[in-house]
Amino acid sequence: MLRGPVLLLSLVVVVFSVLILTQAPARSASNTVSTNPSDIAAGAVLFEVHCQSCHGYQGKGGVVAGAPALVNVGAAAADFYLTTGRMPLNSPSNEALRHHPAFTDAQIQELDAYVNALPQITGQGTAGPTIPSPEPLCSVDQQKSPTSVDLATQDPGCVTLSEGQQLYAVNCAQCHQAAGSGGMLSGGNVIPTLHNSNLIQAYEAPLIGPKPMPIFSQLSHAQLSAIAQYVQYLKKPSNPGGFGISGFGPVAEGFFGILVGFVLLWFASRMIGNRG
Amino acid sequence: MSTTQERAAAQKRFALAKSGLDTVDERFASSKWLVSALDKIFPDHWSFMVGEIAMDSLIILIATGIYLALFYVPSSTDVVYAPTSGHVYLPLVGQHMSEAYQSVINLSFDVRFGLIMRQAHHWAALIFLAAVFFHMCRIFFTGAFRKPREINWIIGLALWQIVSLEGFTGYSLPDDLLSGTGIRVIYSIVQSIPLVGTWLAYALWGGRFPGSTFIPRLFVIHEFLFPLAIVGLLTAHLMILWHQKHTDFPGPGKTETNIRGSRVWPQYAMKAGGLMMLTASVTFLLAGFVQINPVWLYGPYTTYTVSAGSQPDWYLGWLDGSVRLWPHWEFRSFGHEIPNPFFPGLLIPSILFGIMFAWPWIDKWIYKDYGPHNLLDRPRDKPFRTGVGVAAGMFFTDLTLACATDLLANNLHVPFERLIEVLQYGVFVGPIAGFVVAYWTCLHLQRTDAHPIRRPVGGIIYRTASGGYHTVGDVHHDDHGHDDGHGDHGHGGPHSDTPGGQSPRHDAPTPEPVAGD
Ligand code: HEC
Ligand code: HEC
Ligand code: HEM
Repeated sequence: MLRGPVLLLSLVVVVFSVLILTQAPARSASNTVSTNPSDIAAGAVLFEVHCQSCHGYQGKGGVVAGAPALVNVGAAAADFYLTTGRMPLNSPSNEALRHHPAFTDAQIQELDAYVNALPQITGQGTAGPTIPSPEPLCSVDQQKSPTSVDLATQDPGCVTLSEGQQLYAVNCAQCHQAAGSGGMLSGGNVIPTLHNSNLIQAYEAPLIGPKPMPIFSQLSHAQLSAIAQYVQYLKKPSNPGGFGISGFGPVAEGFFGILVGFVLLWFASRMIGNRG
Repeated sequence: MSTTQERAAAQKRFALAKSGLDTVDERFASSKWLVSALDKIFPDHWSFMVGEIAMDSLIILIATGIYLALFYVPSSTDVVYAPTSGHVYLPLVGQHMSEAYQSVINLSFDVRFGLIMRQAHHWAALIFLAAVFFHMCRIFFTGAFRKPREINWIIGLALWQIVSLEGFTGYSLPDDLLSGTGIRVIYSIVQSIPLVGTWLAYALWGGRFPGSTFIPRLFVIHEFLFPLAIVGLLTAHLMILWHQKHTDFPGPGKTETNIRGSRVWPQYAMKAGGLMMLTASVTFLLAGFVQINPVWLYGPYTTYTVSAGSQPDWYLGWLDGSVRLWPHWEFRSFGHEIPNPFFPGLLIPSILFGIMFAWPWIDKWIYKDYGPHNLLDRPRDKPFRTGVGVAAGMFFTDLTLACATDLLANNLHVPFERLIEVLQYGVFVGPIAGFVVAYWTCLHLQRTDAHPIRRPVGGIIYRTASGGYHTVGDVHHDDHGHDDGHGDHGHGGPHSDTPGGQSPRHDAPTPEPVAGD
């Protein structure tokens, strides 16, 4: 007699599961760059106040040594440098590192729109990469029975963590560390942890190459998406085994093993043993 | 306890022990040996107990290692990781990897108790080596390696080498990105040996790196060869110790020919047993709460990938650091270049170990002291030796820091190159400074006779009517109440007045009340 309700309940569960699993991950607003003249105009005002002193009139550069021309960098570069708070810099000799963003989301969109429109405004060249829309992760079931696609040439519409892991290991781990905890480059350049980057930023970084990181122009849209998704995964990996000091590797483990494990036992032997 | 109570307790204990011993005696006729063994006196100075931590960790290592070996597959055969019925780790699905790596992934996610056993095994290894290292330092600084214990010093050093290598082979078994990177470095160091390097590497790896024979070989070495050597050498180590008896710190009532401490049964056994349980607890608490070596994040090893922050476990850090600090000099002889890694990777460690192996004889020559010793030196009384030890410690620390340069540079916000330069100078400045400071501190301590960190020893000794002694106002003795089971026992060998080291009183049920406390 319970058959009816049970069937109904199962149906509801199944429908919900399908809905949840097939739903693309929530994305922040729209990633398209505005071409609305009023946005561009608003962006131009912000640019004059905050950026022109270094990047020059209409972003043509040549004002401050080290500050590049922005005419052809594209909206992705503007978006990355602004959403990660790298710009505006305080002093051109500072290393551009992550800070709290100086602008609101709306202001950033206006500046993006302005930088994107610079080739038209100045009549020089074409715009660089625009703000990307990374591909979503495939459903768990799809990821469990992978079909081998070559992401370099094919675009399956969704990407897997496994593809992301492999591409990350080859392209990024040597600098950002396997678990994304960062490292050190020569010349005192800090390689930041990746745990603060969102999906779009993780895609934008290899796309535009924030100096001294190289530009990964050989990677396809699907490949960059897979990497960005894996970088997101690394923020909260399926990571059993307890408190994860190991994101930092054997040195941290050694310190911990000696300073906690051995020192505890050392104290124990002092309590147990004689001190005569 | 009053003397009567003590006597009654001792008689009861003896009766219990005796019934057990009779059971043994009726079957094996070995109670005489047992009684003497159980009655043996061990000095229970705390620094001697650290040797026990090493032994306990070794037991944990063997136990957890056997469990891991049940599931580990020593094979470099290429497989594709596919979902099993149990847990599946999504980021690796469909990837090519060695069977060895796959088995470690399954061990971590799928096998019951697999992960905690893996983590306990690794934490125990780190603690084990820390304990061995501390133990070695205590032997050195107190002069416990002097005649007649030179052989145990040599066996101990051999143990240290094998134990480090055992740790390294274990670290290499999972065939993840870190393991592979480590093996790659060792491969290059082997290749760099003049004349034979290339052939040797070819022979060890059964072909070119990475090859498919190395993992199975590594497994035989890690599971069989080295453990056998460790247990064998340790048995010799402890048998020699048992025969020669312990050294002891000088102190009231202690002479070259006696030992004071706890009897094996029951006091020392309780202390050692307690420490063993604590070692197991700490190891498994760490294993349960703190992650170690998450191989799934590192991914399978491929020759074309590497991760930042790839370091060996701490006890081999100094070798890695040595390679990092060595300048890029080129040496040529007979028209051939001697590959650079040979010097920091093999020559320097060999020289260091050579000096360490020879130290008991160097020490004799320095102090013109060729006689046997059963009483230890206080480190301050041998400023030169203590200075050398501290200098060696500084050298070791400098190289170990060099191994972590990338992490240090990042966390201290110092350019990488500066740090390397500083540590390169540190190789010379550190030991010299360490020696001078240690030497000066020893002389100072000799003069003031103060304990470097504690209040001075001392107090008023009272003699009671029954002839016992007790001390008032002495922090060291007041905290601990009475010292039970202290007695005088002859040392074996030339100093023994009771051959075979048996207690002359092993048949007496009552322990003597102890004089001096
Ligand atoms: C104090 C001077 C300074 C100010 C102000 C400044 N920048 Fe920059 N900007 C730099 C320097 C220097 C670099 C190059 C450093 C680097 O790439 O790490 C740079 C790089 C950039 C880049 C990356 C260019 C490329 O080649 O990819 C973008 C985009 C950018 N700035 C946008 C802006 C925007 C938008 C503003 C205003 C909100 C701004 N900057 C304000 C100095 C400045
Ligand atoms: C040569 C070393 C190197 C490689 C390889 C590299 N990066 Fe970077 N990455 C850097 C450095 C250095 C920075 C900091 C740039 C700056 O100061 O603006 C950085 C910054 C980033 C940031 C911004 C982090 C933040 O918190 O603002 C992201 C995201 C990023 N990298 C992703 C990647 C990805 C994804 C890859 C692989 C495709 C990769 N990087 C490969 C060196 C590298
Ligand atoms: C596998 C690692 C080792 C284990 C498990 C181990 C275990 C022990 C134990 C339990 C003792 C008696 C307790 C003590 O004096 O602390 C001892 C004594 C001794 N060990 Fe080790 N040891 C190891 C490695 C070493 C090393 C690396 C050295 C030095 C190079 C060394 C040199 C000695 C000496 C000389 C003694 C006699 C000390 C004395 O009588 O006071 N051992 N060892």
